[in-house]
Amino acid sequence: MNDQIAIRTEGLTKHYGSVEALNDLDIDIRPGEIFGFLGPNGAGKTTTIRTLLDEIHPTAGRAEILGLDTHQQSVEIRRHIGYVPGDLAMYPRLTGRDTLTFFANLRGGVDWGYVDELADRLDADLSKKVGDLSSGNRQKVGLIQAFMNKPEVLIMDEPSAGLDPLVQREFQSMLREEIAKGGTVFLSSHTLSEVQRVADRVGIIRHGRLIAVEGVAGLRAKGIRRVDLYFDEPVDTSVFEAVTGTRDVIVQNHHVSMSFDGRMDELLAAATQHATLVDINTQEADLEEIFLTYYRDEAEVPA
Amino acid sequence: MLANVFTKTIADRWKGMTIGVISLFALLVMGMAVYRDIDLSVYTSLPEAYRSLFNIPTDADVGALAFGVIYGSYGALIVASLAIAIGAATIAGEERNGTIGLLLANPKSRTIVLTSKGAGLTAIVAAAGLALWGTAWLTPQILGVNTTGMHPGALILHLTMVSLFFGLLALAIGASTGKTGVASGVSAGVMAISFVAVGLLPLFEGWEDLARAFPWYYFTGADPVNNGVDWAHIAILIAGCVVFAVVAVVGFKRRDLRSQTVGVSVIDRLRSNPVTKQFADRLAGSVFVSRISIKTFSESQALIYITAALMFLVMGLMLGPMYNLLDETLRNLTGQLPDAMLAMFGGGDMSTPEGWYQLETFGMMAPIAVLAVTMVMGARSLAAEEEHRTMGLLLSNPISRSYVLFEKTIAMVVGGAIVGFSIFAGVAGGSLLGGLGMSIGNIAATSLLAALIGLVFGALALLLSAATGRVKIAVYGSTVVAVLLYLWNALIPLNVNIAGWAKWSPFYYYLSSDPLNNGMNWGHGAILAALTLILVALAVALFNRRDLRQTG
Repeated sequence: MNDQIAIRTEGLTKHYGSVEALNDLDIDIRPGEIFGFLGPNGAGKTTTIRTLLDEIHPTAGRAEILGLDTHQQSVEIRRHIGYVPGDLAMYPRLTGRDTLTFFANLRGGVDWGYVDELADRLDADLSKKVGDLSSGNRQKVGLIQAFMNKPEVLIMDEPSAGLDPLVQREFQSMLREEIAKGGTVFLSSHTLSEVQRVADRVGIIRHGRLIAVEGVAGLRAKGIRRVDLYFDEPVDTSVFEAVTGTRDVIVQNHHVSMSFDGRMDELLAAATQHATLVDINTQEADLEEIFLTYYRDEAEVPA
Repeated sequence: MLANVFTKTIADRWKGMTIGVISLFALLVMGMAVYRDIDLSVYTSLPEAYRSLFNIPTDADVGALAFGVIYGSYGALIVASLAIAIGAATIAGEERNGTIGLLLANPKSRTIVLTSKGAGLTAIVAAAGLALWGTAWLTPQILGVNTTGMHPGALILHLTMVSLFFGLLALAIGASTGKTGVASGVSAGVMAISFVAVGLLPLFEGWEDLARAFPWYYFTGADPVNNGVDWAHIAILIAGCVVFAVVAVVGFKRRDLRSQTVGVSVIDRLRSNPVTKQFADRLAGSVFVSRISIKTFSESQALIYITAALMFLVMGLMLGPMYNLLDETLRNLTGQLPDAMLAMFGGGDMSTPEGWYQLETFGMMAPIAVLAVTMVMGARSLAAEEEHRTMGLLLSNPISRSYVLFEKTIAMVVGGAIVGFSIFAGVAGGSLLGGLGMSIGNIAATSLLAALIGLVFGALALLLSAATGRVKIAVYGSTVVAVLLYLWNALIPLNVNIAGWAKWSPFYYYLSSDPLNNGMNWGHGAILAALTLILVALAVALFNRRDLRQTG
């Protein structure tokens, strides 16, 4: 086994007829790392994961997990991984505990003390039938299922879907504990904030192509924000376009909105100089905005 | 009426019915082509019993004979089954899929939504009737068969009405309970029992009138293909349709919609009772989920047990004592029929108890029962996990795809074996009860062959399931192939010149050796077992190569 790389894809490509779901994907993920896999819906995140799990077979290229080929040695790989599929579905007629028993039997048994501990931490009810659970509570069963065999590699597709913020936080600390024990996490998401909170590095995928791999620190440094300013009288666009870091400035009468990654004191100085600032609203830009701002060229699909 | 709900119902459902109609057209052409070339004199001596079972007209014209056999029994069973599937899915199916809330969130009343869907069902059944009527007109033209004096249109009108009757029955149950399983199960059960009862009851003196209690009587009772439309019977069927429609509207209006929650089973009640909790937990919690095969089996156990119980009681145990009540002259008459003739009805010769059981149980009902179980289990095996999006999770465990398929196959084999055994136990018990003195070994042999023929088509459904990941393709595909091959084996021997071609149907290896009289034909059994293995091996190869589907 190769101890240096936990998950590696080499030129991984998947075509459905003429549709290129995944194109020439090269990723290396080291042990002890949480790798965030970001992209808008339909970008190829799930296709990548399904290829890693050998649910679908690549058109070209290959992938390995813990040094094992994902197609040839897929059964052996699955002894070492925990998996949460996107849009999780389980057997509605089984209770949570039955579901876990079923999967445990396929793995030759698990440590039930650990299962109870996980259920406690996530506040999961294992006595109810899965079909009677809300989607968040169902997701908890799915998470326990992935953690219960103490996997070396966790592969998770939108794992915090439906979880309330408290449980999300608990889940994130569980991920960090896995890393501390030397595990590896491959975390697909379309929520930047979640990935920023836990991941070490982030891969950004769009139209089936990996357009950037960055450390989270680097991504955050780009710090792009969406800023809305409200004035007591109509203002002029040119005032704001002069400030370094403003993009896509739109003025609608008293209201100015823009993308901004410059210095906030400069922006505020410019704003207060010309009119009375009534209100200000600023929030983290969404992923799409970062893509459009930084990766516009890379994201174009070649003709 | 909501035009878009109406058209969506049709758009969702026309394919199955179209496949059914096309298959029936093919069967009619095949049947009529075979009948055209045989000497008709034997048919004119057919006893009333056969005619009531298979709806064969008295003035045996070659064309009418094919109409009666193909459309009078198989045709009606197929169209009515499809109507039941549509009716059961109409409201209850949307509840199962969790889409009913969205549909009813629109500013339209439940009644109008239900009416629009009911109209869609009616339109599909009516269109199927029209299409069948077209094929009934076309086929004799193609084959140059004279059908003067026959009333295929009347037969098809009755067929359409009885199918609508059962479709609306399923709709009424589904709309009132929200349970698709109950709706389709009860309706199909009523249909099967009434089909059997209307065939059987006239064989016994003094019991003939009881047949009127069963809906199927108003389809075949007046022999419409010979006598034309019986408007009184049609009126009774229409009245039934109206009653079901009213029940559907009222029942749907009054009740709470089901959320996507799952039902409460007996085992759930035992688990919630502190006294039985420990035992029930062990059963449900560790046995049912201990292996994929056992879990798979437990998911189909209702179908398996109900089918097995019906075969044991009705088609096995009850028929033994009934044989003694059979009219003596009837028995002797059927003893004189030529073999080719008997082959058509599954080779039954009522002058012996073996022939009686062959005709009533093994000829048609036994293969239907076994095939229903094995084909449903084979079709669901892999495709249902893919359609319910659980396959990815299942295969994230350290098990190979071949292992999953192997476990699913085991469950299917056990299901088929249980139904096969119930047939054996029922017929053996019936023979003992009636003092018929049949050979227990031969009954076992025939039941074994019945289970094996079931496995062949179960394996075919499994293959389609493995290759496509789609339950519907697997169910419809294997059903069409099974019906065609069944009739191929039944009809081809009627024409001496091509009788040998029957060997191309697996059904040939089921009863052609007359196992009820001659005992086990191991060669034939081996052929069926080998066919099953080949199909499963193909399924493994195809499933391993394929991308899993991503649904939802």
